[in-house]
Amino acid sequence: MSKKDQLSDIHNSGKSYIIYKSQKGFDLYTNFSKKIILNNNNIGSFLSKENKNIPGNTNLYIGFFGYEILNNLIGIKIPKQKSIKFPKGIFYKPEKKISLSNNLKYENKDKHKNSTFKININKNSYTKVFKKFKKKIKSGDTYQIKICTKYKTKSMIDPLSFFSKLSKINLAPEAFMIRDKNYSIISCSPENLITKKGTNIFTKPIAGTVKKTKSLNKIKALKYFRKNIKETKEHNMIVDMERNDLSRICKPGSVKLSKQKTVEEYKDLFHYVSLIKGKLKKNVQNIDIIKAMMPGGSVIGCPKINTLRLLNKQEKENRNIYTGSFGYIKFNGDMRFNIIIRSILNFKNVSEISVASGVVVDSNAQHEFNENYIKAKALIDLFK
Amino acid sequence: MIYIIDHNDSFTHNVVHQFSLFDEVECDNYNEINKTKLQKAKVLVFSPGPGNPKDYPKTSQIYKKFKGKKKMIGICLGFQQILFCEGAKIIEQKKIYHGFQSDIKVVNDRSLFKKGKIFKVGRYHSLKLKEPFKINNFDITMRCLKSKVAMSFENNKEKIYGFQFHPESFLTINGHLLIKKILSA
Repeated sequence: MSKKDQLSDIHNSGKSYIIYKSQKGFDLYTNFSKKIILNNNNIGSFLSKENKNIPGNTNLYIGFFGYEILNNLIGIKIPKQKSIKFPKGIFYKPEKKISLSNNLKYENKDKHKNSTFKININKNSYTKVFKKFKKKIKSGDTYQIKICTKYKTKSMIDPLSFFSKLSKINLAPEAFMIRDKNYSIISCSPENLITKKGTNIFTKPIAGTVKKTKSLNKIKALKYFRKNIKETKEHNMIVDMERNDLSRICKPGSVKLSKQKTVEEYKDLFHYVSLIKGKLKKNVQNIDIIKAMMPGGSVIGCPKINTLRLLNKQEKENRNIYTGSFGYIKFNGDMRFNIIIRSILNFKNVSEISVASGVVVDSNAQHEFNENYIKAKALIDLFK
Repeated sequence: MIYIIDHNDSFTHNVVHQFSLFDEVECDNYNEINKTKLQKAKVLVFSPGPGNPKDYPKTSQIYKKFKGKKKMIGICLGFQQILFCEGAKIIEQKKIYHGFQSDIKVVNDRSLFKKGKIFKVGRYHSLKLKEPFKINNFDITMRCLKSKVAMSFENNKEKIYGFQFHPESFLTINGHLLIKKILSA
């Protein structure tokens, strides 16, 4: 049986499965023997559980932490918000792994109607929030803050059809898809938050994105980013913040900026990226790493704790998966996690797309509001 | 031992790693100060942090208690905190520097650093010291080359030092040397 048929067969069988971008293509995980729905009571034991380290490529838990549980984990409570009661986090134990190529071939049988999306904040209210946060920046309460807006529509979707379409347009290095009985997630996340192998750990923050055009090559993209003072300042701040978060768990002197402000080229985009590496201190547990690094700073703002508090007071709707992390924890302790952005969550036949852009001292409400729409549009277009 | 008092900042652990190059370091949140460590420490460091010095009365108490008895170093908010405790006014500035690299210059010949020397440093501050400012034994020793905003003070008599910029930032060139000199003073 060819791999292409295998994918369609698994999909059509109705089984739950997960696809995650690998270096060469995609990995598909299925035949789940366990499903752990996380809450504040069991997350500690889940993360400190000792699993027998036996060889095998399915000896791992794969899944996601939502935004709320990551806040709770570092002692930040979220005030009452509008919520769709989506789980705070779910992890699966797969019994089967299949490698797939980058070319996910799938017959699109999806016949959903063209959907119209509703935004949860209008331009006027957004501008008000924006102004309020600018004041907070002037008074030093935050240095950078990312306001989340949501686009929602009622729709039944075929997640594999969406995901295969999306990976043709944008083959993102941290892309993933989850199809379970009662929900699905489709994501073209570009951003790796944690890669841990043995005692080595690294994080690869992105701050700055520009669309590829005929006249804009990699060298010109670098020039563009370097000239853009606002992007540079935002990026600098994220680099120092991620160095800090790694320093919590790494040996003194081991945290190194191994790639400073470089441009990475993707199919349709250029990203402004840095790579920060460190060596873990002795006796650091995975739960310590997760508490130090999550939620990922580049999608929150800086400094993290105060900025999270300001955001949570402001945002009226639960972020759900948005700015949480998806990835896996191997039984030998190695981990890989991304930051969940550029994603569609489909739950109870409602699809939601969340986006955020940063308020820094010299950003402009109109511009950021439109920027949010541009970020969401790539995903909204899949519904056409 | 160096005791770093953290004001919930996302840069404090960079400070911890930087000071760890020179001595044993302990770090606690300003709300969870350990009295034994506080007594034992040879040097106290006030970390950067969000907000205004008046938001951190506990840190002000520590400063006042140990002034003249231990070496104390303030970074960013910590710089403002010390000056605030000395009666200075900390105010908003028109142009804000977050994630900004600036040239700063040693402007005072009572400084541990050579007058006229220029450093490239990383800045993350919304607020600044209101000037003119005059307090016994405190000298403004570095200023931003462009805006002239105060960037460091030294009180070499009572061994109290402060940087408005971030010596631990990757934007600061040779930040380690600055800290080394202050620690050995």
